[in-house]
Parts: sequence; structure tokens; C-alpha cells
Amino acid sequence: MGFLLYIIPVIAVIIFFLVKENHYRHAVSVASSILLAVCAGALTFRVIVNGVVIYPMLGGFFYLDALSMVILDMVIIIAFMAAVFSVGYLNEEKRHGQLTDKKIRLYYILMYGFVLTMILALTVKNMGLMWIAIEATTLASAFLVGFNSDKHALEAAFKYVIICSVGIAMALLGIILLHWSSTGVLTDASYLDWTALSAHAGALKSAVLRLAFIFILIGFGTKAGLVPMHTWLPDAHSQAPSPISALLSGVLLNSAMYGIIRTTAIVNRNLGSNDFTGRLLIGIGILSIATAALFILTQKDYKRLLAYSSIEHMGIIAVAFGLFTPLSIFGGLLHMINHSFTKSLLFLSAGNIMQKYDSKQIYKIRGVLKTLPVSGPAFLLGLFAITGTPPFSIFTSEFCIISAIFKESTGWVYTGMRLGMGIAFILLLGLVFAGVAVTLFRMFYGSDTNSLYPAVKDISIADRLEQSEPSEPSETADKYLGNSSAAAVKPGETNKAGALCLIILLITILISGIYLPPGIRELLLQARNIVMGL
Amino acid sequence: MSDFAAVSDLAVGSKILETLSVLILLSAFLLMANKRINSYIKSFRLQSFLIALTAGIMGIRSLFNEGRWDILIVCVLIIALKVILIPARLSKTYANVRYKVEKDFIWNIPILILVCCGLVVFSYFTLAGVEGISGESSNLQLVNSVSVIWIGLFFMISRKKAIGQIIGFLVIENGLYITAMLVTHGMPFIVDLGIFIDLLTFVMIMGLITFRLNDQFDSIDTDQLKNLKG
Repeated sequence: MGFLLYIIPVIAVIIFFLVKENHYRHAVSVASSILLAVCAGALTFRVIVNGVVIYPMLGGFFYLDALSMVILDMVIIIAFMAAVFSVGYLNEEKRHGQLTDKKIRLYYILMYGFVLTMILALTVKNMGLMWIAIEATTLASAFLVGFNSDKHALEAAFKYVIICSVGIAMALLGIILLHWSSTGVLTDASYLDWTALSAHAGALKSAVLRLAFIFILIGFGTKAGLVPMHTWLPDAHSQAPSPISALLSGVLLNSAMYGIIRTTAIVNRNLGSNDFTGRLLIGIGILSIATAALFILTQKDYKRLLAYSSIEHMGIIAVAFGLFTPLSIFGGLLHMINHSFTKSLLFLSAGNIMQKYDSKQIYKIRGVLKTLPVSGPAFLLGLFAITGTPPFSIFTSEFCIISAIFKESTGWVYTGMRLGMGIAFILLLGLVFAGVAVTLFRMFYGSDTNSLYPAVKDISIADRLEQSEPSEPSETADKYLGNSSAAAVKPGETNKAGALCLIILLITILISGIYLPPGIRELLLQARNIVMGL
Repeated sequence: MSDFAAVSDLAVGSKILETLSVLILLSAFLLMANKRINSYIKSFRLQSFLIALTAGIMGIRSLFNEGRWDILIVCVLIIALKVILIPARLSKTYANVRYKVEKDFIWNIPILILVCCGLVVFSYFTLAGVEGISGESSNLQLVNSVSVIWIGLFFMISRKKAIGQIIGFLVIENGLYITAMLVTHGMPFIVDLGIFIDLLTFVMIMGLITFRLNDQFDSIDTDQLKNLKG
């Protein structure tokens, strides 16, 4: 069953190479993502019942436990949503003459290659193989980031590959040091195997292990978008096609975070407390939230804003795992799930908005609620959700993390410091909410027909020219004032299946904010125990 | 046969390995002192050859002592990939995007070399401070190979052209490889294999991106990549 997870994407890629017609490609893509979802469902059931799924083949490198299952399920569900959404998205792009059939084929091949590498990263138990898979995610998604192949997309792709590869190289140094810290403890067959590393955690060389953790945090932190290393993220997420942005943000960041979580568990077990990892993770996490909050306040491009919001949420997850109490870890895992659902919802609806208005600039967009009857409200509600407003699910997980800051003693954090940290955390979350409200909510007001700057398809050529040279808003406004007779954007959804995806995602984050199904709860509790080493 | 026996002798082998690790560090300095992209590629090839030599010696040693073949296979792979295939690929990319020779580095070369010396001193002092490393016999080798990583990183910063940055990354990879080789006697074989596949894909993808950069921007100067901000 488990190997089907590898076989299905491989077969899908082969079929994409062979078939000629677009609607077959769409059908194959949706069908294979449904098959993947069925496999993942069956495996999840086995993990909940048995604890781990492991096969003796090839030295037993395939390994699934509750922690990897949680994130693997995310990958597969979001990939399914992206596959369904892509059908309408690509057809619409093709209708505007942006895409050729050959490019659609390339898109699907790369997308399933990307999904395959992420599945691989989450289903192996060898740190070295996981490193390879995570580096491969960068390479598989490089051309997806640069898919529009204009100057901006190319710049984003170049930065993405260079920064992520160098960052990941640092993680490899960390993994080499991890390997070194275990020499003399582990035998040949179990080198770099984290089940063995965590079983013999007490015997590893602490000093080398600490150094290894720093490098792994820098390396996988680059990929997860934690702050000093985040610079590629806003570019890549804003330039990639929307379904890919949803995958990058909702899933890829979590996969990188997963590497950090595994290492944190081993290091904390070796050192006997979370003093060392906690300081680093909480520091880097708070820094990420603060930086993201500042950039959100001054953002002009809504896809970039969503990208900064991803940085913020990765920061929150880092803080949760830095605290390392049962409640905070549960909250952190729940937050990973909620963040991927909500962020995919936002990126997918942003994709619809972008296709409708043909612009990523916030000031050019008015009256989204009227022009897009599903994506508009979904985007608005998603914005409330992502900023942590009840009753959406992100509120629940953020509440868990905040109460963990105030409630439970974590060793090195004294009462006063904990209080200060909690207050700073809440204030920053408030700042993010204010930033989103100030910058984005104006998109929803007014109606586009009497807008000052009707962003319409008729001027899309002018728009495209302008995108290569960003100009001041006032200039553009003047230009458009003389052109106010231009026709407005026609209301209505173009991507029907995509709209259905948005509704499903919206219902999911609404329900999971109030009620967590017992199966998922059980899975999360098991995952928490794995991280805690219980 | 007697040569092999000498190499497989631990004390002599360690001396040879130590010398090779110093030579690899020197090749990193050599790379830093290069002015033209063609000579970057040559220096990279030299460094990879030295690494293949190291792997070969260690492979022979492990074959005689433990009967393991995998390091020798890795040595062959290094020669095929890093000495032949990747430099050839880079030369091809370079031929496609040939541009006028111009000043390519941020500071002049003596200053860059001085900074590299500083990086070696830096890695010596940081690593000497960590208990568990300072007492080990592989200390000098570790300092050398970690220095290669930092020099590779600095090389990426100091060069403005896309190809310079690709080579910088490859030098980082070489440094990582030699660290793994000398310090932990190699990673598990399957991990090495995967790293090679990743590396090859990286070079191919970056070659393509560089080519497209040249198309779109009429140069491969990464200073031009500053449209996306904020």
C-alpha cells in the first residue's frame, strides 16, 4: 500500500509524457490525486491502529508514524485541491493565450514530480534520504516558480534555487555532524536512521549534536521560510501559479518544518531539556512573526502579503515547538494543519481574483465580493481565518499555543520572561490582523463599475507592460482617469470546480475550528507523543 | 601490491589524507584568485579531481580492511560527474551565454584572499572550541574541509555572474562531501548516490535558468535581479 504513494505519481508523470490531449491530462491528474488520497486514507487508518507502518523491503527505508502521517495527509489533500483547481485555472490561462499545450504538459509533469519528492521526504526514516528529497523538492519546483517565464518569474526562480540550495547545503553539514555524533553508537545499517538516533539519543555526543542542530535549523529553516533566511519566499510564492503557491505555502514549508521537528526531538532527548533548542526556536520564531507583521503592514501586492503571512505562521509553529510542552506541541501540529488548509484557500481564491482582474496590485482591485460571488467571500473569510479570528480553526490552535506560553513551565523561561514573551506574541498577532485589515480589506469595498481604476482585460496589455516596470500608483491613476469609459470586469466565476474546492476548504476550516474528529485527534495525540519521546 | 599495502596502513594513510585535505583547501584559494569563468571551471575540475583521489585512497583502504566496495564506486562516480560531466556542462552553458570580460568581483583579489584566510582562522577557532571535536585526530582535516565550505559560500557572494554562483555552490558541495568523507568515513552509499543525482539536476536546471536569464536580461549579471522587493 505504501509504495503506491511513489508508484502513482511516477505513472502519472509517464502518462503526461505520452498523452497529447489536454482534457486527458486533466483527467489523469485528478484521477491520480484521488488515488493518492485513497491510499493516504488507508495508511492513516493503519497508523492510527498500529502506530507505525513499516516495510522490510530495501532495508526498511519506508517508515510512517503519526507525525509523518499528519503532514503526509496534508500534502495529499492539498495536492488534490490543487489538481482540481488547476483544471479550471489552466483552461482560463489558455483562453487568454498565456499557455500552450506543451506548457500545460510541463506543468503537470513538474507538479507531480514535486508531489512525489514531498511524499518521499515524509516517508523515509533516514535523515540523509530526507535531505535528498527536500533538495529535490527545490529542483522539481524551480520551473514551476518560473513558470510564467517573464523577467520577474525568472528572477524569483533563480533566487529560489540559489538561496534554498545553499540553505539546504547547510542542513547537509548539520546532518554530517549528526552522523558524526552517532559514530561508535550506531552500527552500519542504522546510520542516520532517526528511529535509532532517537532510541540511543542519550549516548550521542552532545557538543557535536548541538552544532548539528544549529546547522539543521539554518538549513531546513531556509526552506521553511524562517526569518533571516526567508528572502526567497515572498518572490517565489508571488510569482508561481496559484495552485503551486498553495502547494508551496501549505505543504512544502510544513515538510521542511518536519525535518526541524524530528531533529529537535532527538536533541532535546539527548540534552534532557529544551533549553538549547527552545531558545533558538523561540527567538527565530518571534523574529519571523515580527518581520512578517512589518512587511504585511506596508504590502502592495496581495500574493506577496499572503507569502509574508506564511512566514508569520511558520514563526508561530517554531515558537510552539520551542516551548516543547504537551499543549504547545499539540497546538503546533494542529496549527500546521490549519495553516495549510487556510493558506491554500487563500492562494487558490487569490488565483481566481488574479485571473479576473489581471493584476496583483491591491490598489487596482475593487468590489471583489460582487465580481466573484464565491472566491470573493472565500477570500474575505479566509483572511479572517488566517489572522486568527474565531470561530475558524487557526484561532483554536493559536489559543492552544498562547495558553501554553502562559500556563506551563518550560524550564528556562522564567515567569517574567514568559509573561513578556506571551504579551509580545499576542501584540504581534494583533499587528498582523491590523496589517491585513488596513491593506487588504479595501479590495472588497465598492463596486468595480464605478471604480476609479477599472482593472479590465481591455487594458491588460498595458498592465503587462507596466508590470515589468513598477510605477507609482498616482501615475497609473491619472492614466486610468482619462480612460474611465473602459468596460468593467464582468461578475461571475470562471473556474466552477475550483469554486467548489474553495467551499470545501472553507467548510473544513470552519468545522475543525469547533469540532475535531476523534480519529484526527487520536493521530495528533500520537504525533505529540512521538515528538515528546513518550 | 606493496603500494596498496602502504596506503592501507593507517598511519601513512592518514598523512596522505591530511596532505590531500590541505591541497583541496589550496584549490579553493586558487579558485578565489581566478579572474575568468573558464579558469573557475578548471579550478573546480582540479578540486574535484583531488576529492576523487581522496575517495580513491579511502576506498582502497576500506576495501583492504573491511572489504567494502562502495567508496571506490563513489570515487568512480566523482570522476565521471564532477571531473568530466559537470565541468563540460558548465563550459557549454558558458559558451552559450558568452559575454564581454568585465570586472566580475566585489573587491579586488588580494582582499578576497585575505578574507579567505580569515575564514580558515574562523573555522579553526569555532571548531577548536567545541568539546568532542578538539581532541580528535581528524581535527585538522575537519578545519580544512569546513573552510572549503565557507570559501565556497564567500565565492558565491563575491562573484556577480550566475555561473560564478553555480560554481560557488558546487564548491560548497565539494566541501560538504570532503567533510563527510574525512570525518565520518563517508555517508551511507544510498545517500551519496542521491546527493549526486541532486547535484546533477541542480547543474542542469541552473544551466537552463542561466541561459534564460541571458535571453531576458541580455546578461547573466545577478546584480540585475532586483525587480522583486518588499
